[in-house]
Amino acid sequence: MSETPDKKRSEVADVDRSLYDFVMPEEGYERYADGLTPDIVRAISAKKDEPEWMLEMRLKALDAFHEMRMADNWGPDVSALDMDHISTYVSPKTKQARNWDEVPEDIKTTFERLGIPEAERESLAGVGAQYDSEIVYHNMREEVAEQGVIYSTIEDALHDPKWEPIVHQYFGTLIPMRDHKFAALHYAVWSGGSFVYVPEGVSLSYPLQSYFRLNASGAGQFEHTLIVVEPGADLHFIEGCSAPKYYEANLHAGAVELFVKDHARLRYSTIENWSKNMFNLNTKRATVGADAKMEWVSGSFGSHVSYLYPTTILAGARSRCEFTGITFAGATQDLDTGCKVVLNAPDTTASVDTKSISKDGGVNTFRSSVVVGRKADRARATVSCSSLMLDDISRSDTIPAMDVRNATASVGHEATIGRISDDTVLYLMSRGCSEAEARTMVVNGFANPVSKELPLEYAVEMNNLIKLEMEGAIG
Amino acid sequence: MAEKNAASAASTLLKHINTPAAQTWNYLHINDISLEVPTPTTKGEVLARLPRLFDAVETGIGEEAASWIVSATGDSRYVEVKAGVRREEPIVVDIDAATGDIRDTGVLVREGAEATIVVAVHGKASEAGTSASLLRIVAERDALVHLVEIVALGSGQHLEGVGIEAADNATIDVRQYALGGDKVAMGICCSLTGRSARLTQETRYLVRGSEQLDVNHLVRQRGRDTRSELVTSGILADAAKKTMRETIDLIHGAKGATGNEIETVLVTGDDIVNKTLPTILCDEDDVAGNHGASIGSISADQLGYLADRGISTKEAEALFARAIFDDAAIHAPEALSRAAALKRAEEVLGGDIALDVAEGLGLSTDIEEQA
Repeated sequence: MSETPDKKRSEVADVDRSLYDFVMPEEGYERYADGLTPDIVRAISAKKDEPEWMLEMRLKALDAFHEMRMADNWGPDVSALDMDHISTYVSPKTKQARNWDEVPEDIKTTFERLGIPEAERESLAGVGAQYDSEIVYHNMREEVAEQGVIYSTIEDALHDPKWEPIVHQYFGTLIPMRDHKFAALHYAVWSGGSFVYVPEGVSLSYPLQSYFRLNASGAGQFEHTLIVVEPGADLHFIEGCSAPKYYEANLHAGAVELFVKDHARLRYSTIENWSKNMFNLNTKRATVGADAKMEWVSGSFGSHVSYLYPTTILAGARSRCEFTGITFAGATQDLDTGCKVVLNAPDTTASVDTKSISKDGGVNTFRSSVVVGRKADRARATVSCSSLMLDDISRSDTIPAMDVRNATASVGHEATIGRISDDTVLYLMSRGCSEAEARTMVVNGFANPVSKELPLEYAVEMNNLIKLEMEGAIG
Repeated sequence: MAEKNAASAASTLLKHINTPAAQTWNYLHINDISLEVPTPTTKGEVLARLPRLFDAVETGIGEEAASWIVSATGDSRYVEVKAGVRREEPIVVDIDAATGDIRDTGVLVREGAEATIVVAVHGKASEAGTSASLLRIVAERDALVHLVEIVALGSGQHLEGVGIEAADNATIDVRQYALGGDKVAMGICCSLTGRSARLTQETRYLVRGSEQLDVNHLVRQRGRDTRSELVTSGILADAAKKTMRETIDLIHGAKGATGNEIETVLVTGDDIVNKTLPTILCDEDDVAGNHGASIGSISADQLGYLADRGISTKEAEALFARAIFDDAAIHAPEALSRAAALKRAEEVLGGDIALDVAEGLGLSTDIEEQA
């Protein structure tokens, strides 16, 4: 296969840059003042007509946020993030819809361009779509609802006498508000997100998906996702996120709390493509019961700075965790990602497999911790991280920590960092590929262990994102 | 060289010892260690200090601990090995915990020279005693340096800091043995600055009882085509605690560099704490960095195999421990370090086995005589 200039252009043209990077006007939107005050927190709570306990939690969290300090000895710099210039609540003037035709035209157009309604029709059991601070669309298939599955906003659950006690029971228990400074911020100003309850023994054939779009400039998104998978139940939940690019800093400080009960299974897949002015300081945590399984599939492509370490607490005997992740850091990006696993019961197992790719001056840091507690007899954990450097101005660090306190446990770790070998490129070129095609093929192959874990349409999206990021290399 | 310890009974807290090049979550308590050490006294003495070139040598234990050692020691000791000379007699840093020795040593190995340097830490400290050694080595072009560290304290606290600067084609060969001590902090940093500089480093340890071992290994690979190989293995028994930080830093410009680190931990105690932080930092694309770690106990299959041959679990674990002492005694290049290893073997494994180790090496069975 010989390469011509025309062909080279067509490869690049295949990628639609406008897919994520478009802005809709904010006219008529409700936007709270920048900064963080008790009045703003009270206003958010009042707008949602929340129970008193939630307002108290928000105000305590606000105090915690002001008290707590960021660690000064690790992690990417977030000094450019000035909360005095971030609006914590921006809402379009619309009510939550269950039909896309009821969604305002500009918002509907946004989600159509992102392919959400189409995905819902073809392969999802339910969809929630958040635009800035509020969910604008939420729907679930009838047959899924008939199984007793609840998929709603947290706000709706709080207003339902049947579900309010459940939310109260779980909300904020897995991620304490003083976990870190931005967890405190989250609890002070959270808005939107999803509540999912899968009853005992119920298995969903199709995934549920929540998509988070932050359209507003200089704003934050603080959605809270709370999922309870009862014993023996099975759920695949997909989370997607994107934003247009601005020069002002945007902030995402969401929280995800996952309760996977005995014998249950939860797969949580994320394709994150925030714009490159985004500080993505997200917190995700799961607790897993006996004989249950937690699976994470994580693709991180966007944001300016990321701190993202999904945490799994293997609390029940024989519980398992699999984490599969890929991070792609390009120009201006400093992505500190990885995961944490706590093995706290006998015969628990954890498997972590991550990939990272750095190019155009991007910085990737893989950070993990595996903690094996004293009760974790015969626990086993393996961590594998591979990093690919695509040029000599980028950076890739791997910082995995292991803390083992049980003599019968077995923990293994391997890490490799390197570049695409000249031999591989030469081999592919000798079979007709251009150098650019060869490199893209190698990168796609490198990412394959992650993409193969995703539903087809999301795997295609991920491959498109890789292609988009590789554009410079292709050209 | 003044041999006396210039420290007083008052104490100072060193807050950040063995801090790695890249840190992680503070709640894991893996980023550093704090130790209380005797506060140095000012006596108005004019003490010998190392040439300024050693100030630029980074050590693994960190600036705070290195500064304390320099201020707590008497005269510093400077040794120079002339260009092209193969020095037969090892340069020995003798640390006797019983007298709370604190030493600051600088060795300049000139172009094409070869030297063997030994740090032998031995003895039982008096109550809450602290001993320390700071060793900085500058290896010029084509130099060959063999470093053997044997830390074999019966009791007490010890700080062991090493910094090495390696120029073009310099080869550094390090063997570290951590065989005992209530609280031992060992930090080594090797900067492979020159083109094709090499580091091979083997570390073995036995931590038992309520002992605590804290290690920081750091390799800065600045030069093109530099190579580092770090192999660590050890045993954690009883309620011992061990923290191992290993960092390979592939710095921009180090094209063609490769770094490999591997750690194997055998856990035999029910109340152990094993922390490992293996880090690769990469600021260059034309490099390769690899790390592997394996932490676990002797498998049931292996124990079954040994049991079939009449070896109990305890005996099997003792064999692994003995292997470490065998290795230390074999590689100890001179009498003092060999005696330190054998003396400690006697304390840990018993006199019969220690004698067996000595006999196996064709040495006199009088361990005291070794010294």
